[in-house]
Amino acid sequence: MFSPDSHEHDLLNRASLDHCVKCTICETQCPVAAVTPLFSGPKYVGPQAERFRHGESVDHSLDYCSSCGICTHVCPQGVHIAELNSVARAAMKADHMPLRDQLISRTTLMGMAMTPLAPVANAVLGFKPARIAVEKVVGIHRNAAMPTAHTRTLVGWLRSRTDPKNPAPRGKLIFFHGCAQNYFEVETGIKTIEVLEHLGFEVIVPKQGCCGLPLQSNGIFDTARSWVRKLVAQLREAPQDLPIIACSTSCGGMLKHEANEILGVTDPELLEVGGRTRDICEFLLDMYDRGELDTSDWLPNELTIPYHAPCQLRGQNIGTPAVQLLELVPGVTVVESGAYCCGIAGTYGLKKEKYDIAMKVGKPVFDKIVETNEGVAACDSETCRWQIEQATSVPTVHPIAFIHQAMGLSKLPVSTGS
Amino acid sequence: MPDTVVIGAGLSGLVAAIRLARAGQAVTLLTKGLGGLQLSQGTIDVLGYAPQRVEAPLEAAASLPASHPYSVLGSAAVTAGIAYAQELLGGHLVGTVDRNVLLPTAVGSLRPTCLVPTSMAAGVVTGGIRYALVGFRQLKDFYPKLCAGNLERQTAPSGEAISARGLVIDLPAVEGMADSSALGYARAIDGSAYRAKLAATLKPLLEDGEVVGLPAILGYRDAAAHRHLEELLDHAVFEVPLPPPGVPGMRLNEALTTLAKQAGVRIVAGAKVVGFETSGGKILSVGQATAGRVRQYAADTFVYAPGGFESGALSMDSYGTVTETIFGLPLHGLGPDLVTADDPANQALFRVGVGVDARMRVVDPAGTAPYSNLYAAGGVLAGAIRWSEKSGEGIALASAVAAADSILKGA
Repeated sequence: MFSPDSHEHDLLNRASLDHCVKCTICETQCPVAAVTPLFSGPKYVGPQAERFRHGESVDHSLDYCSSCGICTHVCPQGVHIAELNSVARAAMKADHMPLRDQLISRTTLMGMAMTPLAPVANAVLGFKPARIAVEKVVGIHRNAAMPTAHTRTLVGWLRSRTDPKNPAPRGKLIFFHGCAQNYFEVETGIKTIEVLEHLGFEVIVPKQGCCGLPLQSNGIFDTARSWVRKLVAQLREAPQDLPIIACSTSCGGMLKHEANEILGVTDPELLEVGGRTRDICEFLLDMYDRGELDTSDWLPNELTIPYHAPCQLRGQNIGTPAVQLLELVPGVTVVESGAYCCGIAGTYGLKKEKYDIAMKVGKPVFDKIVETNEGVAACDSETCRWQIEQATSVPTVHPIAFIHQAMGLSKLPVSTGS
Repeated sequence: MPDTVVIGAGLSGLVAAIRLARAGQAVTLLTKGLGGLQLSQGTIDVLGYAPQRVEAPLEAAASLPASHPYSVLGSAAVTAGIAYAQELLGGHLVGTVDRNVLLPTAVGSLRPTCLVPTSMAAGVVTGGIRYALVGFRQLKDFYPKLCAGNLERQTAPSGEAISARGLVIDLPAVEGMADSSALGYARAIDGSAYRAKLAATLKPLLEDGEVVGLPAILGYRDAAAHRHLEELLDHAVFEVPLPPPGVPGMRLNEALTTLAKQAGVRIVAGAKVVGFETSGGKILSVGQATAGRVRQYAADTFVYAPGGFESGALSMDSYGTVTETIFGLPLHGLGPDLVTADDPANQALFRVGVGVDARMRVVDPAGTAPYSNLYAAGGVLAGAIRWSEKSGEGIALASAVAAADSILKGA
């Protein structure tokens, strides 16, 4: 239960609920309620239950909400259903936060622990008896997709490489890599930087920590607030008039809106940083729309690419820029997954009691990708990529990998290197 | 920069976007949520009451007042709008713009409409028809005996009697589930094994020659579900629409959204349009409240298809002042006594809306366009009470096609 003067309490009691006309469109689109009776759906646990909450959670099936945010996205009345439910779930878990949720929400800790021991860590995570033990003790499902550790971080790569000497006629940019690109998807971070440098930008990468999103989605709000504030200060150490480019949709979304809308952080510094943040595909497509992205020398790639737009990208309300961007590559045909969620929703699908639900949620995505892929699939969010790869065995990369290849920057075709 | 930005993802927004994109325009569609089609019954109403029940909608539309959207559009535009719906959704819809049909509602009244989904066509009332209405014990939105009882109190247009009986079967959508939504049932019926189980339960209860009415749950993704069930039962089968959001409306929404994407329309969903920039009597761009900032979308022309009061595009405050909430457009149909106690269903307020000229350009009551590149379509248009006239889809289609065509002619 939250104190009556807290942000959480405000949100739980806010008048915007009156915008809900009970049309139940959110119920029809909820990917979790569609596959399990354990979750009654966003309207029932949210706008409906809200009237009985008085700061406490009344419908405990709320724990089965994956926080994918589709309910908010489709609401024709602008009710912040997902935000409301995230806050209510935090209230519900406040006094008894499981150790598991504390652990999996600290990505930097995982990254820092795994990087020096990458081969060992990967071997352990690939070793069934070890995973069964982890499931029993901690509650992470034995089959859930876990990231692959690398021996070198993105920061390590930046430190070791010779400074790019290419001219930067377009000026400077700030790159926000997020934890995943630093520890687990170093290649995506490198490719994003190389694409931007190829286009004539100088890329500044300030020292940066975790945005706090995994903590937030597990209901650990206080720590999440301090982490995102720290990140904002770090990003503001770079010049404050430059766009901030993110290639992690969920972490970019945290800066753009979730820290404000869910955690209730209203610092002008956060709002300023959020307003400058652009998803990499959003940024490149905007350049194309302004006539500033020359694609005439892009290498053709005769390829059908199944593409899944992650929930956290939809939540940014910028459309699906990766689709239009990929289609600028000569020869590329994009097939959209046609489904809202792959099931993982950050850390939801890792949990042993949610794993089966997450796999059912993602089934339409997996089926479409298996049916249409020609060796590789694309998705903007790292946890979704791991989930899709785990479920389909189809290598799944960030869309930037195809742009990198089209610009002639890749040594290997995308489908063989990830 | 797109050629046209469309605001709204209901029937009129989607159809205008598809028509423009198929003609080669770059189109971006902005919408704050899912459009209103999910809340429709999946039928295409043109004109059901004026105010008496209408048999020939085009003919009846010709004698509506000058302020009605159909009078502004003209009957050729109505015909073109309906023809375009048939072109886009050919496989899904049957009927002709010249004639209304009557379909049973969930409470057993008879509702006039014009084009109907193929899954509802067998339910059209004809003389001597014998209905078997079937409900599920686990589905709370359909009471077949109530429906049948009310149907029997009425007659077919020919004056002949209607025979109907209600049957309740005990078949959960998911094993062990006591209460399912229509969508839950539709998802179950997407599976052919469940259809076989349904047919096996139902077939022994049916009598020869009965037309079987089931709630509108005959498949969400699988378009062949209805036909398959007819084969299994060896009876004509039709769907009765349930309270929204209804499965037939969801199917229509999915079909049109897919067509829009295939035509190359960029759909940007999830945030409201909150502002705009103008210069020299033209709209330069509209601003959408995306995460973290307002993103401006510039275009040559804008189609405004946001819906009316129900979506918040039109709003009345506690002082009785009515406004159009995005552009602050001049409204038509204003006056004293917008809301009176005399006739609750027929308030003057419901006719208030945005006015257009014959090209679907927004105009003030004097006929002057506040912006030369702003067009309007669908539920925001003044002059009609769609829910009592049963005219919503017809107005949406006709105005969307007319707006798209005049933009294409001007381009």
